[in-house]
Amino acid sequence: MVERDLVASAKAGDKAAFEELVSQTHRRVYTLAYRLVGDRAEAEDVAQEAYLRMFRGLAGFREEARFETWMYRIVANCAVSALRRRGRFGDVVSDEDLDLPAPEQTEQQTVDSDELTRALAELPEGQRVVVILKDVYGLSCREIGDELGVEEGAVKVRLHRARKRLADLIAGGSDTGGPGHEGEV
Amino acid sequence: MRVRCEDVQELLPEYAEWGPRPAGDVERHLASCQECNARLTSLRSLLRSLEGLRAVEVDPEPGFLERTLQAVQAGTGPGRVVSIAELREARTRLTSMVRDPRTGYAVASLTGAAVGATAIALLWWRIARRAMTHGAM
Repeated sequence: MVERDLVASAKAGDKAAFEELVSQTHRRVYTLAYRLVGDRAEAEDVAQEAYLRMFRGLAGFREEARFETWMYRIVANCAVSALRRRGRFGDVVSDEDLDLPAPEQTEQQTVDSDELTRALAELPEGQRVVVILKDVYGLSCREIGDELGVEEGAVKVRLHRARKRLADLIAGGSDTGGPGHEGEV
Repeated sequence: MRVRCEDVQELLPEYAEWGPRPAGDVERHLASCQECNARLTSLRSLLRSLEGLRAVEVDPEPGFLERTLQAVQAGTGPGRVVSIAELREARTRLTSMVRDPRTGYAVASLTGAAVGATAIALLWWRIARRAMTHGAM
């Protein structure tokens, strides 16, 4: 967790404090960016863009809020902009268009993180972004909606579909490859 | 009215997130249906696993921190850029300008003109010096 004093110093314009903030958080920021865009070079650009926005927005950051949540929201916003530039975020894909394996009814322990990462990469981008921000990083549906520019209800719908699909993919032991290429509203 | 499995299973992705709830139709169904209960267990395990993924970090490429600090410096210091996209665009413009054959011709012409002017100046200087030497004799 990032120390409040460090955030306060960076907010007051101390450049060294901001650099320390970058140093302490860069792996987390990069990881989130990579999970959202699914490409290393693009994740680096997204992370750097996010830090520029953080630097410029730090003066307006309210210290009663959690710095990490604020930071994740900025990364999410930059990642969604990158996905939109790529042109695949926001296409509608119906459930019927996807040939999903039938789920097996087996009781499971926690899922291996590699398997989970591969299953996440199989999701349409719109669903992947929502489930990562909500279930991995703990943002609320309203916060996600704000960053994606969609209603909270639309976020909930995507989340519902994402969880169902993820459960099916894991139960089906799908042979997964790279990140999914379809988006969804 | 008896609750059907498909109705309950449709609710499970959200239901899995909730804690203990007062007994209702769904809870009564879950208590007696092994299939729906297995699905709920599997969804709860999925949510726990997703939460655990937060602690798993992906290694960035070597030099990422240094490049990021440089980008922040470039983006916030004097002559700052507005965004990384703009910084990248400026770099691309510069690269394509260097690669453009017209830039090559322009540089070659300017170099030729500079060499020519230097040669003329040298020649002039030698003539002038010779004239001064002869004048002195």
